[in-house]
Amino acid sequence: MKRLITTAAVFASAVLLVVGCSPGSGGNSASSGSKTFEFWSFTQINQKADVDVYTKAHPDVHIKLTEVGSTSETAQALTTALAGGKVPDLVLIQGDDLPKFMQSPENFVDLNTFGADKVKGNYLDWVLKQSTTKDGKTIGIPTDVGGMAIAYRTDLFKAAGLPTDRDEVSKLWPTWDAFLEVGKKYVQATGKAFLDNTPTSIFFQAVNQGTERYYDTDHKLSYDKNPQVKAAFDLTLKVFASGISAKQASFSSGWTAAMSKGDFAVVSAPSWLLNQIKTNAPGTAGKWDIATIPGGSGNWGGSFLAIPKRAKNPNAAWNYIAEMQSPAGELAHFLSQGSLPTTPSVYSDPQLVAKTDPFFSNAPIGKIYTQSVVGIKPFYIGPEDGTVGTELLNTLTSVEQGKVAPANAWDTALTNVKNALRG
Amino acid sequence: MNPTRSTTTPASRRRRSVNRVPRVVYALLGVMVLLSVFPLYWMFVVSTTDSATATSLPPHVLPGGNFLHLARLVFDTVPFVRALINSLIVATTIGVGQAVLSALAGFAFAKLSFPGRNALFLFVVLTMTVPAQLAVIPQYLIMSKLGWVDTLQAVIVPGLVSAFGIFWMRQHISNTLDDELMHAARVDGATTWQIFWRIAFPLVRPAALVLGLFGFVYAWNDFLWPFIVLKSPERYTVQIAIKALQNNRDIDLGLAMSGSFLATLPLLVLFAFVGRRLVQGIMEGAFKG
Amino acid sequence: MSGKVTAVTTMLGPATAAENTTRPTRYRHIQQGVRERLAPYTYVAPFFLLFFVFGLFPLLFTFYVALFEWDPIGEHHYVGLANFSQLVHDPRFWGALRNTFSIWVLSTVPQLLLALGMAHVLNHVRLRAATLFRMSVLVPYITSVAATTIVFAQLFDRDYGMLNWFLQLLGLQHVDFTASVWASNIMIAVMVAWRWTGYNTLLYLASLQAVPRELFEAAAADGANGWKQFRHVTIPALRPIIAFTVVTSTIGGLQIFTEPLLANTVGGLTCGAARQCQTLTLFLYEQAFGRFHFGYGAAVGVALFVMTVIVSAINYLLVTRIRSERP
Repeated sequence: MKRLITTAAVFASAVLLVVGCSPGSGGNSASSGSKTFEFWSFTQINQKADVDVYTKAHPDVHIKLTEVGSTSETAQALTTALAGGKVPDLVLIQGDDLPKFMQSPENFVDLNTFGADKVKGNYLDWVLKQSTTKDGKTIGIPTDVGGMAIAYRTDLFKAAGLPTDRDEVSKLWPTWDAFLEVGKKYVQATGKAFLDNTPTSIFFQAVNQGTERYYDTDHKLSYDKNPQVKAAFDLTLKVFASGISAKQASFSSGWTAAMSKGDFAVVSAPSWLLNQIKTNAPGTAGKWDIATIPGGSGNWGGSFLAIPKRAKNPNAAWNYIAEMQSPAGELAHFLSQGSLPTTPSVYSDPQLVAKTDPFFSNAPIGKIYTQSVVGIKPFYIGPEDGTVGTELLNTLTSVEQGKVAPANAWDTALTNVKNALRG
Repeated sequence: MNPTRSTTTPASRRRRSVNRVPRVVYALLGVMVLLSVFPLYWMFVVSTTDSATATSLPPHVLPGGNFLHLARLVFDTVPFVRALINSLIVATTIGVGQAVLSALAGFAFAKLSFPGRNALFLFVVLTMTVPAQLAVIPQYLIMSKLGWVDTLQAVIVPGLVSAFGIFWMRQHISNTLDDELMHAARVDGATTWQIFWRIAFPLVRPAALVLGLFGFVYAWNDFLWPFIVLKSPERYTVQIAIKALQNNRDIDLGLAMSGSFLATLPLLVLFAFVGRRLVQGIMEGAFKG
Repeated sequence: MSGKVTAVTTMLGPATAAENTTRPTRYRHIQQGVRERLAPYTYVAPFFLLFFVFGLFPLLFTFYVALFEWDPIGEHHYVGLANFSQLVHDPRFWGALRNTFSIWVLSTVPQLLLALGMAHVLNHVRLRAATLFRMSVLVPYITSVAATTIVFAQLFDRDYGMLNWFLQLLGLQHVDFTASVWASNIMIAVMVAWRWTGYNTLLYLASLQAVPRELFEAAAADGANGWKQFRHVTIPALRPIIAFTVVTSTIGGLQIFTEPLLANTVGGLTCGAARQCQTLTLFLYEQAFGRFHFGYGAAVGVALFVMTVIVSAINYLLVTRIRSERP
């Protein structure tokens, strides 16, 4: 027994020595020359495919890709790294996480110094605005946008006596009120829920369709005074009251299960959600289609590539951005992965327009989603956007759960936002 | 309770002396075992079928044949073998370290008298109050100053000592090593180290083993700190590897459960081998005399 | 006495015993004198060294940060006690406190009672398949928290979970375990209790081994059945270890973090749309890592620390009272 422990202790010390002295530990990144850089991405966005394309074209470049975790985990890891550790050379930041980083732009390289200002015109201006500081520094280059549409189940619509052709369906609901009517008809015909939930599928989308959101044109918080926000909120309450919601919180396990079982027929779907539908409900292949969203336009999601200030190899990182996020690069990424480009010049490219998806009854996803972003009126996204949005959404979820009475919902929401903004 | 008073003969007393265990108790124990094991079993079921199984009702409780496919997917998605090795290194070092270092300190607190002993021990107890999450950012700063970010030692070193371990060892050493024995050893000329290494430590071997095992399990399952400080996939421990299997916003249950099950399997194997020895060791008496 | 000396020699090994007598006496005494005096300190040194670096410094740093408005990647400016006054007026803090306390009670009380009962039964000398039972109660402890939380969250699902299916069979209504404070706290408490009951059982069992068999046998001979033996032999013998487990589970209860984090009821770090199951430590993490408000998160941490100290002090007093009551 003693010998076992002694041996174990010796082994452990030996391991520590080995691990401590091995190359690649400690401060040195795996750098062999200046053509290597470290890239942090989040999962489910398949940057690996892009990295492979790039390294094939540039065999002398070595990219160390780490898929850190979810978007928020990657943002948290980036925060920790910026706060005092090893930073990657290139990092992918999701749009919802970006405002917090934009508050401290000194942590990142101003990409204009690499020539970003020359290519700025390639990108949708309302997207690029999110990653541009007040004094014009470019912190991030957009990689993709979500766009917005409604994904619906053709088989369930048929069973409810509704049209299934996507143009006809799109005509059914030019407004949210019309959408509500369709929902009521569906519930009456089938007795099952129509919509996955109201907070995400209604409020979150409706509030993104206005000219202002939580901040006004002077960049001051105005969520409580903005009538567009209140209108979206009231709309959500109205839809909830009609009973067409399945009350499955988005991305919860119940939502995933309900999707595969057909316990709701429609869901507000940005382009990246389509992949998740495929993963969650593989048995429903070919039973979905995509129609335009009420209100016509919308966007959810989108990411940016940024270079932290202390990056060891910013040049190599920029070369990657310049090439892969050029219009041609983003188009290629779309054709293979489905992420919508942020470069409007390719929106009329015949390959993009012709791209269809068999899982969704061969819907022309390129055309549908690019149309949805073209009509967007840009509004200012401020640092507390995430906080305000989360609290509003959570209050509406509480209404769905029966924990907050609809009559009190708006006041409760305002109180919750105020509490959250204090801290 | 007066144990000596009895009116029956010694022989009959012995025959009647121990109650048999009532059957209802066995039934209850059976329920406890079932509840203890069921979630793990269900994890296995989902990892041999797919996500749809997890949500089908009535509940699907029989394993399927999809294990190899999902397992292969796990190994393709993350460097799982490397992660298992990393976890093994980290957990073993921490387990052994905790056992030995806690025994050392526990021995000192239990059997040696030195100025400040009580105050220091109180301090040890107080340290159990510091929640780990509190320490994360400052600890990360220290690691970056030391150049240990993204290394295994950043995970190992902070976990080498355990206040609970010291408490536990002190308790056991107090109970097993009586002062007379120590005094006799000193008279015989033994140094403190000899007393510790050759008398005290062997006496509390079972308790040290338990502590080491607990330390091992804790280190194997820990994920917040390793997640923050380990960045390269080759350095991942197994918990980070299975976290990396989870999707951006929702979870492919089949894949996640497969990874989770594969991550628990080594512990189960270890437990199968060491567990009985462990329990017997405790039964033979962590407390002698 | 000589018997003990022989035992010691045997334990030390003849080589050492011989060694102790052959070296020059005076030198050895001086050398050993210094070493002996330093010995206790060197034995406890590794712990304290590591603790100072990785435990105390971070804690002190947290106190320091709590006095600032601290953006981890931006600016810090001194705000004095503003974070604390804000905390006191923050309903989210009080909610988290309530959740932490209720989850602790809901998980600790059944857990320890169950562990006591099981230890008593598993200690029985006539128990068949004892080792199998003893090993299987430890299985929850060794499974990964991340994995089992996902499993439990699925089992507790409102529409597709096994538990609600079972309730439906019994004619009861589905429960949304993420919607109400009570239900979500119970869900988390079940996860925590499930994990730790076996561990506590083992602790109690190990301590019960020290209780002489004769006490149980005599009680049985005196006609005491299992229940009476439990009350009059097991519990008194286990008083100190029970006190110890109450202390450790209290401290652990104040720090519950992983289960609410991963139960992920509506995404994000709030454990519930209205923070129904957000514990103090999760609230801390949300503020520090989710909102980048390190100062505020640190303030929560300080509050947590103060509470833990108070609770530990109370427990310590109770323990010493119990110890002094022992026959």
